[in-house]
Amino acid sequence: MKMADGIAILRRNKPGTKAKDFSRWPDEPFEEMDSTLAVQQYIQQQIRREPSNIAQILTPPEGQDEGVWKYEHLRQFCMELNGLAVRLQADCHPETCTQMTATEQWIFLCAAHKTPKECAAIDYTRHTLDGAACLLNSNKYFPSRVSIKDSSVAKLGSVCRRVYRIFSHAYFHHRTIFDEFENETFLCRRFTLFVTKYNLMSKDNLIVPILEEEAGTGESEA
Amino acid sequence: MRVPGQCGGTMEDPSSQNHNGQLGPSSGGFCAENKQSDEGNQRIQYSIPGILHFIQHEWARFEMERSQWEVDRAELQARIAFLQGERKGQENLKNDLVRRIKMLEYVLKQERAKFHKLKYGTELQQGDMKPPVFDEPGVAEMPVDGESPYTSVSNISWRQGRQLLRQYLQEIGYTDTIIDVRSNRVRSLLGLNNNAEAEENLNNAQPVPTALNGNEPVKTARKSQQPTSLTEAMMLDTEAAVLANFEFLAQADVDLEDDDDISEDLDDQGDDDQDDVKTARRKGKGNDGLSDDVDAEAQVVLNELILLTETEDNTDGRHQTDGTEWGSGMGFQSGAGPRRQMGFINDEEAPDSTLGLGELAQLTVSNEAEAFGPLASTKEFRKTWNAKYTLRSHFDSVRALAFHPVEPVLITASEDNTLKLWNLQKTVPAKKSASLDVEPLYTFRCHTGPVLCLAMSSSGDQCYSGGLDGNIFCWNLPNPNIDPYDSFDPSVLACNLEDHTDAVWGLSIHKQRPQLLSCSADGTVKLWSPQSKIPLLSTYSSEQDGIPTSVDFVRDEPNRMVAAFASSHCVIYDLETAKPVVRLESSQEVLNNVVGRQINRVVAHPTLPLTITAHDDRHIRFYDNTSGKLVHSMVAHLDSVTSLAVDPNGLYLLSGSHDCSIRLWNVDNKTCVQEITAHRKKFDESILDVAFHPSRPYIASAGSDALAKVFV
Ligand SMILES: [Zn+2]
Ligand SMILES: [Zn+2]
Repeated sequence: MKMADGIAILRRNKPGTKAKDFSRWPDEPFEEMDSTLAVQQYIQQQIRREPSNIAQILTPPEGQDEGVWKYEHLRQFCMELNGLAVRLQADCHPETCTQMTATEQWIFLCAAHKTPKECAAIDYTRHTLDGAACLLNSNKYFPSRVSIKDSSVAKLGSVCRRVYRIFSHAYFHHRTIFDEFENETFLCRRFTLFVTKYNLMSKDNLIVPILEEEAGTGESEA
Repeated sequence: MRVPGQCGGTMEDPSSQNHNGQLGPSSGGFCAENKQSDEGNQRIQYSIPGILHFIQHEWARFEMERSQWEVDRAELQARIAFLQGERKGQENLKNDLVRRIKMLEYVLKQERAKFHKLKYGTELQQGDMKPPVFDEPGVAEMPVDGESPYTSVSNISWRQGRQLLRQYLQEIGYTDTIIDVRSNRVRSLLGLNNNAEAEENLNNAQPVPTALNGNEPVKTARKSQQPTSLTEAMMLDTEAAVLANFEFLAQADVDLEDDDDISEDLDDQGDDDQDDVKTARRKGKGNDGLSDDVDAEAQVVLNELILLTETEDNTDGRHQTDGTEWGSGMGFQSGAGPRRQMGFINDEEAPDSTLGLGELAQLTVSNEAEAFGPLASTKEFRKTWNAKYTLRSHFDSVRALAFHPVEPVLITASEDNTLKLWNLQKTVPAKKSASLDVEPLYTFRCHTGPVLCLAMSSSGDQCYSGGLDGNIFCWNLPNPNIDPYDSFDPSVLACNLEDHTDAVWGLSIHKQRPQLLSCSADGTVKLWSPQSKIPLLSTYSSEQDGIPTSVDFVRDEPNRMVAAFASSHCVIYDLETAKPVVRLESSQEVLNNVVGRQINRVVAHPTLPLTITAHDDRHIRFYDNTSGKLVHSMVAHLDSVTSLAVDPNGLYLLSGSHDCSIRLWNVDNKTCVQEITAHRKKFDESILDVAFHPSRPYIASAGSDALAKVFV
């Protein structure tokens, strides 16, 4: 099909590509994406275009199956959370953060183990991301990335609740890291809006006051 | 000697307690006596109890062995049943294909007739116009009139067609059978001799039906497609791929049902088989009244076996349990008591189950290694490689992979910024397919951008990764039997070589010296001694050649490297003088190429003075290192060739391409030995790396579909 277009645009990162040119190709309209990974391509394309335009990133293309849409977004969140985990590895030590906490109210147990375990915050972070990677790539629950069973879609909520704790721990205990990361990626903001939009987490659990902050500054500016 | 020994043995043997209890003192005395006579006289004294014990012991041993053999037999029978089921499934698939072809042909004929009638107003005489007759009653409901779905598809709008296509795609999902059949088809169309018989089979298998008089042209067309040269074959290949795709689209909707059929078949067969085994066992029991306890033992063995398989199943379902656990509220009030208890139980239980599975997993894999032998010892290379392990855990394109030099262990690097460690002996059986899923053992996090390249040290203790962030990290490999959810050990990251100022795209490690080469989009190639205090040894750059894309040490000359560039140049450097020694001749055909002249990968042959390059213009080229002359050039794929790997003996070359396939080549005569469709596309990328295991019969491919696959 591309050959017929004359000068074909090849969306490839060839060896030797400079970091600034990586994945910097013209957008491909969603209707023209014929890959089984079209939704991932589309989401990543939207993020690359403008990471702060969350409303647009979270707007599915017309007729998009909602289960797949939520699933692919969650994959993208977990992937980008690796960036936060890398930063936390340098600052969040098991000696100082012996438990996964956010506010003093709760201690979170790590569900990656056969029996939930009280892992140190950094281990909780890594285990939760590893566990989420395994679950979201499980051939049993997510054998296809084009259609997903409702029973599997139902599992996304618990993944959201767990990975959210990484945001909250970073926010309440490693604020500098959180702010740096958030300013670059807008990830916590996007995540919060995502889980709210698709009802994946209850409002009570969203303890990082990221949207309130935004609203607060917005009001003061106005 | 054995009998007295046996006597001593019985003293301790708890199984003969009764006997000992009755005759305790006397037998003890007897033993002492026996020993005395032993010292005095070398002749063996047989005693009735001793002989009895010996015979009993031997008999028990034989019975044990017998029961073990029976278990083995049962296993083999199960295997046979499984294979039979698989065959049946394949037959079903084939029948469906035939059915589809008939349908399509019939519809085509009808269309032709319609067209002819409209144009000339007369009936077209084109042989039998009977609708195809199908054996199975279920299929007869398929619409065979003019309003068949195929014609209507062409009438609906383009967008709807697209929707339909997408539906088909999703139904295909990740069914490997299809990919296999497709690759078979492409291979047979390529006219590779070892597949000629497969093609024949295909033809033979099609019952030449009476209702298919109109199929003559198709047949001849196919015959004429037998290519005479590889180039021609390549062109035909494109057609073939399209053709194959079309067929699969057409057949996709039947396919899902097929899958179910197959699994049902399998289940049935399996059940039957188990019953068989059980009845056989009962018979054995009836015949031999004495064998009661032995039977019990066998039962224990059998139970153990069942237990083992159950454990396996449990581990398979582990994420399910995880999932449900995750589902329950995980927030505990701080200071709650029971938590620690739970942790304790976990500690006790966990080792057990992992041990069981570990042993089992090792058992199968080591068996296999025995069966096939190391790569070096098998003179006759195994004819076909089949996908066995699927490595799913990355969130984005897998850019690179590297095998451990000895263990069945590999590392993958991905655009999701992580590297993952996999042990092929720790598998999770996947449902409904012969391939196994592997779960990663360790995730390496430190890169702040996509990880692009990898190199494994020749000892297998360390590996290096280069990333878009310009860093080269050196990692100490964790133990391949590590608990995947162990606590974080910062010492896994050994060092960071951070002199590159842009993306690092290529790494190569020296086989004997502790030296590493890297090439980067900053325009330089750097030589490192990663273990030294000042790791950077030297930097090479070339105005004339531009940005390097790939590097490798030249294997037959100790102090040389070969670097390939985006400009299609390829140069051999002396590492010490940092001067180019040989410029590999750029052929005219490459220079005339406006687009796609880039070299994506360069590898040095392990023994010969030969350099092999993979090009964007679909070619693989072979150069002589001494003269710099082009030795051989061939169109190797339907799209850019992205990756190359040479087997440790230098006999076979593996290539990967954005055409979604990997191909295995005979280095000697440059013919394609096997083609495997391995990965799906993301944007316009597909396969990004391939690798040979240095000492075991494994090959692997890494794809932009976030998967890595290992073939055996
Ligand atoms: Zn912390
Ligand atoms: Zn944990």
